[in-house]
Amino acid sequence: MNFIKRFFTGMKEKDSVSGPAEVENTPSEPNATSASQPAAPEPATTNENFSDAPPAPRTVLHAPVLKENLFPESSEEILIKAQPSATGDQCLFTVNRVLMNNCSWYFDSFESAAESALAEALFSLDDVETVLVCESTVTVTRKDKTLVDWAPLAKEVGAAIRGVLKEGNVLIAEKIISSIPSEETIREGIQKVIDEEVNPGVAGHGGQINLLDVKGNSVTIQMGGGCQGCSAADLTLKQGIHTSFRKAVPQVGAIFDETDHTAGLNPYFS
Amino acid sequence: MPRVLTFKVNIETGNQGPNETVNFCFNGHKMPFDNVIGSNEPESIFEGGFDVNSYAHSLTLVGPEKGKWDIEKITVDYECEGEKPYVVKWGAVTLDEKTEVNIWQDPPVPSFDV
Repeated sequence: MNFIKRFFTGMKEKDSVSGPAEVENTPSEPNATSASQPAAPEPATTNENFSDAPPAPRTVLHAPVLKENLFPESSEEILIKAQPSATGDQCLFTVNRVLMNNCSWYFDSFESAAESALAEALFSLDDVETVLVCESTVTVTRKDKTLVDWAPLAKEVGAAIRGVLKEGNVLIAEKIISSIPSEETIREGIQKVIDEEVNPGVAGHGGQINLLDVKGNSVTIQMGGGCQGCSAADLTLKQGIHTSFRKAVPQVGAIFDETDHTAGLNPYFS
Repeated sequence: MPRVLTFKVNIETGNQGPNETVNFCFNGHKMPFDNVIGSNEPESIFEGGFDVNSYAHSLTLVGPEKGKWDIEKITVDYECEGEKPYVVKWGAVTLDEKTEVNIWQDPPVPSFDV
């Protein structure tokens, strides 16, 4: 028996047992009680007799996902995998080399890529809009949002990354690496913008943003309350939160969202 | 969200196991597994599955009614409509009467070599 059949069979069985009593005790029909019928009990009594009360909600834990290696460990060849996002607006490139060690950097223009060979090579491609380098990954957004097929541009990006790695140039400018502040500075700056700008903005929808972790200059947040499960959460994250964070703390690199939008007890829109 | 046709779990229990019926929660509805092999006794392996045929919002493994359940590894095989079958593995977690653990993950986004 499948899930739906079993669920509705359970509902019917429940109705056949408790149905008549519920009709008799319906508070919306107070005048329906005749002299031959017993007086309707108090609503509190009805609730006490209702034996199928939902169990107390449990806390949903998240065990670590065991990921298998994308690449063979012994390979000396430069291997790159492209993974377009489900929304199609960006593509994640994972390389079997470390590109930035324990930090990340967001390049929003060709000018910002000066002296960083990796970013310069990527911005030399026509359709690249922004570049985010983090550990052994590069996330690229494209200018033309109408194109869904990433294959042609992904091949160009792959060739560019491979070319730069083979040349052995400085991937990320020294001035960028030296400008990255301490984790504590990043944490204070991001927490301030969350408290003073982001959370007051999403509070109208019953939402809230929590700063979970800062590692290097990469931050991890979690969306809660009405933001959890909201259909506009991705838009809020990319156009609202990212913009506010980068404006307030320009040295912030990757921004990870660890929200489980399928869980939660009170989603704004699920 | 995809329509889940069926899923199977393989749960490796560590030092503590309640040895009671194992339940899962699909979209908030608590159910026991079908086709059960083994148990969740300490150092045992539990296998079970369910033909869901419904769209997945959430899927969790429910903790025991009493005591603790040390899980070393959870492996879930999913078959979803219009998707290739896929497997997700989770590491150690301890459940009790107040907790459940997420065992749902969307089908992997396709990737390719460049």
